[in-house]
Amino acid sequence: ENTSGQVLNKRLDLSYNHTDAYTVLRDIEQKTSVNFAFTDHLDLERIIVQDVHFRHERVYDILNFLFENNHIGFEEQSGTIMLYKIQAPGRLIGRITDENHVPLAGATIRIAETGRSYSADAEGKFSINVRRGTYTLEISYLSYQQVRRQVTVEDDQEISLDIVLAEAVGDLDEVVVVGYGVQRKSDITGAVGSVRGETLEKYAVTNVEQALSGRIPGVDVSVNSGQPGGTPRIQIRGATSVSNTNDPLYVVDGVMLNVERLAGSTHSINFIDPSNIESIEVLKDASATAIYGARGANGVVLITTKKGSRDGGHVAYQGYTSFGDVTRRLDLMNADEFLTVEDIAYQNAEKFDPTGFGRGQYEDPLVKRRRFVIGNTLGNPELFDESLAPLYDTDWQDEAFQTTVTQNHNLSFTGGDQNTTFGLFLTYRDEDGAVKGSWLDRYSARFSFESKLKPWLTAGGGINYNKQRERLLEGWTLRSIFQNIPIMPVKYPDGTWADTEIYPGVESPNQQQYAAEDNRLRGTQDILGNIYAMVHFTPKLYWKTMVATNSIRQEMKNYAGKDVPKLSETQGGIASLSALTAETWQFENLLNYQNTFGEAHRLDAILGQSLLTSNRFSNNSTTWGFLDDYYQYNNLGTGSNPRPSGSSASKYSMASFFGRVNYSLHDKYLLTATGRFDGSSKFGKSHRYGFFPSVALGWMVSEENFLKDHRTISNLKLRTSYGLTGNSEIANYQYEAGLGSYAAVFGNSRAVGIGLSGLANSDLKWETNKQFDIGIELSLFNNRLNVEMDLYRRVSTDMLLNRPVPRSSGFATVYQNIGNMGNKGLELALSAYPVQRASFSWRTDLNWSLNRNEVLKLHDGADILLGTAAGSSTGSIIREGLPVNSFLGFVRLGTWSNDEADEAARYNRRPGDIKFQDTNGDGAITTDDQVILGKGLPDGYGSFVNTLTYGNFDLSLDIQFQYGNKVMWEMMAVLEDRTGAYNNMLRSVKNAWTPENQHTVIAQSKPLAVGYDTKNDTHRLKDGSFIRGRNLMLGYNFPSRWISARHIQSLRVYAATQNFFLISDYPGYDPEVSSFSEEFSRGRASYGDYPKPRLFVLGLNITL
Amino acid sequence: CEDFLTQSDPSNFTSQNYYTKPEHAQSAVDAIYVDLRQIRGGSNSGAAWLMTEFASGLGNTTALGSAQNNLTFRNLEFDPNNPYGASYWNSHYRGIANANIAIQKIPDITMDEGLKNRLLGEARFLRAYYYYNLVRLFGEVPLILEPVDLGSDNFMPLRAPINDVYQLIVSDLQTAETAGLPYTSIAGRVSLGAVQSLLADVYLTMAGYPLNLGTAYYTLARDKAKEVVDANMHHLFQSYDSLRMEGSENQGEHIFMTQFDQNVANHNGLQLILIPFNAPISNIEGYGMLYPVIEFVESYEDGDRRAEEKQFFYTSYGAASDRSQIIEFGAPYIYKWFDDNANVSGNISGLNWPLIRFAEVLLTYAEAENEVSGPTALAYQALNQIRKRANLADLSGLSTEDFREAVWRERWHELCYENKTWFDMARLRKVYNLRTGRFDEFVGHQFVYGPTLSSRELLFPIPESEILNNKNLTQNEGY
Repeated sequence: ENTSGQVLNKRLDLSYNHTDAYTVLRDIEQKTSVNFAFTDHLDLERIIVQDVHFRHERVYDILNFLFENNHIGFEEQSGTIMLYKIQAPGRLIGRITDENHVPLAGATIRIAETGRSYSADAEGKFSINVRRGTYTLEISYLSYQQVRRQVTVEDDQEISLDIVLAEAVGDLDEVVVVGYGVQRKSDITGAVGSVRGETLEKYAVTNVEQALSGRIPGVDVSVNSGQPGGTPRIQIRGATSVSNTNDPLYVVDGVMLNVERLAGSTHSINFIDPSNIESIEVLKDASATAIYGARGANGVVLITTKKGSRDGGHVAYQGYTSFGDVTRRLDLMNADEFLTVEDIAYQNAEKFDPTGFGRGQYEDPLVKRRRFVIGNTLGNPELFDESLAPLYDTDWQDEAFQTTVTQNHNLSFTGGDQNTTFGLFLTYRDEDGAVKGSWLDRYSARFSFESKLKPWLTAGGGINYNKQRERLLEGWTLRSIFQNIPIMPVKYPDGTWADTEIYPGVESPNQQQYAAEDNRLRGTQDILGNIYAMVHFTPKLYWKTMVATNSIRQEMKNYAGKDVPKLSETQGGIASLSALTAETWQFENLLNYQNTFGEAHRLDAILGQSLLTSNRFSNNSTTWGFLDDYYQYNNLGTGSNPRPSGSSASKYSMASFFGRVNYSLHDKYLLTATGRFDGSSKFGKSHRYGFFPSVALGWMVSEENFLKDHRTISNLKLRTSYGLTGNSEIANYQYEAGLGSYAAVFGNSRAVGIGLSGLANSDLKWETNKQFDIGIELSLFNNRLNVEMDLYRRVSTDMLLNRPVPRSSGFATVYQNIGNMGNKGLELALSAYPVQRASFSWRTDLNWSLNRNEVLKLHDGADILLGTAAGSSTGSIIREGLPVNSFLGFVRLGTWSNDEADEAARYNRRPGDIKFQDTNGDGAITTDDQVILGKGLPDGYGSFVNTLTYGNFDLSLDIQFQYGNKVMWEMMAVLEDRTGAYNNMLRSVKNAWTPENQHTVIAQSKPLAVGYDTKNDTHRLKDGSFIRGRNLMLGYNFPSRWISARHIQSLRVYAATQNFFLISDYPGYDPEVSSFSEEFSRGRASYGDYPKPRLFVLGLNITL
Repeated sequence: CEDFLTQSDPSNFTSQNYYTKPEHAQSAVDAIYVDLRQIRGGSNSGAAWLMTEFASGLGNTTALGSAQNNLTFRNLEFDPNNPYGASYWNSHYRGIANANIAIQKIPDITMDEGLKNRLLGEARFLRAYYYYNLVRLFGEVPLILEPVDLGSDNFMPLRAPINDVYQLIVSDLQTAETAGLPYTSIAGRVSLGAVQSLLADVYLTMAGYPLNLGTAYYTLARDKAKEVVDANMHHLFQSYDSLRMEGSENQGEHIFMTQFDQNVANHNGLQLILIPFNAPISNIEGYGMLYPVIEFVESYEDGDRRAEEKQFFYTSYGAASDRSQIIEFGAPYIYKWFDDNANVSGNISGLNWPLIRFAEVLLTYAEAENEVSGPTALAYQALNQIRKRANLADLSGLSTEDFREAVWRERWHELCYENKTWFDMARLRKVYNLRTGRFDEFVGHQFVYGPTLSSRELLFPIPESEILNNKNLTQNEGY
């Protein structure tokens, strides 16, 4: 029977004001009949205790209290407590900081002799007990140069060390996240680009894509709208597919984001809060992406979110407020100019339509205006004074734009120790749109947890909840900013909205009324969660299993008021609700084996399996005819005219096996082989499975003897890869002949017809992307200058083309594996440290990408015409031998002069009309006269960033550039081609043709009713090149001495300005634009786009 | 794994698992009707049926930017890339494809044989109707009579001779005639009256260009039209107002219509196209996209009721905000399809669009009878019914030639802006001269506002996209 606990667990009361340990032991003996035995001379009388009061305490606890710090140990042996002297250990204490004395929390101290590692606490301090001896300490921290120290410690000796780590320049031991794992950067054989969370923090951006813009070579981000929650498009290494998505696959902490069709072409990634991101890795070449097989063709973006800490609790706050305004304006006419054009147009009406003019079909504007004079008795609004001068001169751009105020607050609580970490991250964002009436707010919460429960078992998980709401402006609301005529007010003095279309001859509803009364709310709840367990069978072999989900629920709530002209007036108010849920579930198992064989061979292998299902359900209902605007969309039952409602569901599933082997010989020769076997329900039985392999080789030339100690070259790596990846993101059920429902009407009631819908293609299979990459990584002058360059060529084959088919079949299109598209390009990332001293450093980064896209093969070589541009001509063309995003249109030669009247007549035109090139010389301007005008894809793009650090100040300047693409500025269709005061116009219309001004490209002003020409032509096509001052930031880090006295770990304040200049010939708001979300439908066209504001940002980051 | 990777669409059937029940047969036929609607709608970018209206030289347009198409047709500058022709082509071939499925699948469904035959009759009528439009608009067109898939020979079809298309139309209509259909249908389904009326019209066209089959087909047309007249199930409305009233749809004068309904598929597009631009008379925003050239309105005989205010045309209307305040348009606009109810109260129009009216059957009869037997009493009786309603004196004592032109003139005046006139022009190769009141040859006729017709305009161009996607097609001459 074990009685040991019984003695030490006895409880008693003792109380002393001042005594020594000997007395205490004696009292315990008396009160409990416990015997003490002494083996050494312990000097118990010298251990003094004061003011101690034990109430019902265990003997064990009392002894612990007495001896804890006095090198005395005790243990129970057969009912007797043995006391003995403990040999006092030596102690190593110290503090680890960087060159600026900023403590490096979490830095690692490894004792080479014992193999044990310790980490520094939040203040960079450590304290390690060791037996006497001589030890080698290796002190290291991510992206700092390792320091080695040798120390000799005697018993009971305390040695104090102050260790300063220098920042490693382009450190090669940096760890990079790759698909299903991490790798040392030096071991990577593929093309992978990274962005750290610290970089993201510098930008007051709404979503992840904006943060990536211009950041990584080969990643082309089109931040195409300034609307809060606008949806930027990312293309990695060019476009791969005509009909299929060109979006990369996003993987957040191993969870593949949902790719179902969401409202307004949004994507789950739009809702992920960028402040919680630790790092972003972009996988570009086949070696890196093939592990994602059928979903890797467009590249993969891996996002790692912030986690808990291993060094105790922290509270951090990051927040900023930004103020924005729209600095670029279109040069539009004022009231007098507008009226002048109207007069001129009327005077010219006779020339263009003598018959109609004779019959009085054209009203003299002076007569028309008189109906709107002050005091008119016709019930018309008052727009002119007695002398017919306009009463209003509204600048609709001024009315539409506002100074925005945006705030973003992020609060994080992290904690943990060596075995367990947890973190809670909360964000609130409230963003104003630059155009009144649009806004976004977002609440985001993240919790992550991981614990090493047993030496062999680690379990963890995370849940990310984002709730975002946006108020959107669409269609007319943006167009009317430019189209509304200046003689109309926003509201009349009595407070009623001006009906901007009441002035005969003009079109365009009141922009401000639309912004106010066309309520479009989009609400999104995005949940991203995973739980996992890792079982270490041996130190070399572990198994990881994970269940994950990305669940999205979106709700669109629209209400357009009873009295909004052109929109909902006819219907007496339109309320509509639609909701969709999109859910992805993922179950994955992964085996990882790492081993070293001898000194030379290193092996890292994984084998995995994945199951994924994704489903989508949506429903919608709309009701017309409301009693009152009060109800909005909150009580559809009050509408008098319910419309047919709808719903739809779809589901797909994927099953996959994958594996990867990384082998390294002497750390010099690297081999990566990857393969993924995918099965998808999107394809018919005969083509359900696809295999996507890749292989890559790397050679660390600088590890070879002939370079190892080279003075200039500190690192040189060559690598190359080749592999296949797939793209399968087509709509579900395309391989079978789906039937659709048709709403038939019989006798004023609805009958559902079932008829053809989808054309079956049982041969449908995977789109395959073949990519070859060759890369060089070179570091010179002790890593002061680093260059990484990649050359690639990739070809999509068996392109999943939504091919237009002869309509005589009854079908419009079919998905078929037709055609090839190629991209080749060069990527360059250059970073240099021209100055690097403790007090002053300068870092400069340039990244630059060149890409050439070419459509290599289409079905029968036939062109595909896409989209309808303003003016009813083709939007863009896909043609073999051309870049996928090419513009087709007419050549505007100018205007017909009086001398050319006869020639113009052959084209049914008169002098003053636009003169287009008759390309085929057939005497008529038809679609056959269209030529290829240019392309929407840029030749090159990138960014140039300089960061200066001086003492506690840092300054960074970020310039973004893009060149070689065109933008079709389709707004010209209304702003310049309509030269007859049908809506407001660009001031350039003042340069319209007149007999005195015949050398102009702008047609003579004339009423719209006599006709006018408007086509996608060379005059509309604008150069999309630009240089943008994206960010200029000045930051100050409070000195560590000052803040540590206040128990603050770090404190930083900064001020920045974003989008602070834009150099571009483009006449619209922003050349980085694409008004249409469909891939390539209208090239890069702009039609009523939402401008991007210039921002001033003030921010504060603090960590406790 | 196979099970895990097999998913079927929960929202839709496939052609493999459908067509097993009587309800499926019904739904398959109902789907064919829907494409009657596609060309009639209308939006700010126009409507397909305007193609033939502007190409007949009788239309003015307010040239809004989004309806530039109208101008190209009005000025006879249209090319194969216009969306109107594509809209006809695409919707009609989809209707044909749905008819082909129904005709192929329904016979195998176990169901009441009477209903089965009626449904098949409806499908055949609709297929014939779609082909009849296509062959007249585009000439030789692919003749597809069975469902097509990627592997079919007919996936990339050749154009079929015009005669073959007409043979199919006649045979489909003859089959429909014996399918046991009721003579009228208040629900707006295909009726025996519709079948016979269409057949009469088809025969009349076959008698004229391009087949030119002459007297034999005038006889067939006359006889078929007479069957409709003698059935005594249809009659002319007393008032033209009934043409634009929901209450008189699918009955009386209306033999077959494209069905609209304000709660299912509204027809605001029609109103939007016809209501004057910028005239605040309606809650439906008017685009004034089609309104008569004034010379046409002036070409009616004096006293013709149809040319009076608020019969076929109107020039003013009360303001929406205050009906007592009259808005003058400055030109005549089309009142024939003006939905009073939608404009005054409901805002939403559910007005049907007439495809076959009894008035047309009467005129077909009069024309065919005259060609076969000269202006007989029965021919006069048919023609004078139309004139009488227009408050015009009866005609009598005309020569065959004069009677012929009198009938044509009546067709122009009665069936204007109804998607009929251009087809008459193409069939007759004659055009009503608004200034002389006589009939010019098609080729060389000059519209009152300038452009001159050439032989090119006897057909519309095959849509550019179709030529691109089917290399077996050829384009019509001149495009």
